[in-house]
Amino acid sequence: MKKVMDDLDYVVLYAEKLKKNKDLFEQQKRLVEDQIKASSSLFKNSFGKDFKKGARKYLKEVGLTN
Amino acid sequence: MEGYKVEGDTIVLNRELTSLDFFVKDFLSILKKYSGYLIVSGFVSISTGRTRGTEDIDIILPVMEKKIFGQFFDDLQKNGFWCYQGDASDEAYAYTKELHSLRFARVDEMFPNIEFISFNEKKKAKLFEFLHPQKIRIKDFEFKIPPLEFEILYKEIVLAGKKDLADAMHLRTFFSEILKEEKFKEYGPIIMGEIK
Repeated sequence: MKKVMDDLDYVVLYAEKLKKNKDLFEQQKRLVEDQIKASSSLFKNSFGKDFKKGARKYLKEVGLTN
Repeated sequence: MEGYKVEGDTIVLNRELTSLDFFVKDFLSILKKYSGYLIVSGFVSISTGRTRGTEDIDIILPVMEKKIFGQFFDDLQKNGFWCYQGDASDEAYAYTKELHSLRFARVDEMFPNIEFISFNEKKKAKLFEFLHPQKIRIKDFEFKIPPLEFEILYKEIVLAGKKDLADAMHLRTFFSEILKEEKFKEYGPIIMGEIK
């Protein structure tokens, strides 16, 4: 029976292809840029004008700072 | 064209810079004036092509002297960074002196952020990797990471989460032609010392 690929198999497959073809970096660049844009928009909308104050309150609530 | 090549002691990645790279590059341009450093963990894998998101870039460095830290902290603030833990350098230094992490992001942003991790001479594994950097270059952005074999073993033995094991597998596969078995044997005991 054919083995079902798991997450690590995909990691290996992608890394093997990337090694031979640098053009695959373009896909990764798009993922990185999209994540940064989405995160920036989310937190700007959440914390409003006094960004630092809102951010520090949030960080305290989620336990990332004292 | 291939994903990377080796030029002397530097691994050169054949790709364009991302916004994440520019963020790290800007932070390092300030940090390098005050201290040595090493980028570890997720960014090592992501910068070499692993397709996953990240929120923080881990940077390790020896604990700074208070005066130097104050100058560094002010320089960061003048250049558009803010610290999660506070706006006063004294307040932030209290964390780093006790080897607690600080986090820095661009003004009005939460992510990405730099996790600023200080260590002292008692942290043998961190000291070792810090003293044995591997250079990486992407276009005009050059930075230092641990030896690849060290980073792989650290992810497999110490961190060992699902994400870390996948990162390690990416590095093992992508750099399979340049990894050295004797380095794995050399670094294993140093890393095991970290978890004792």
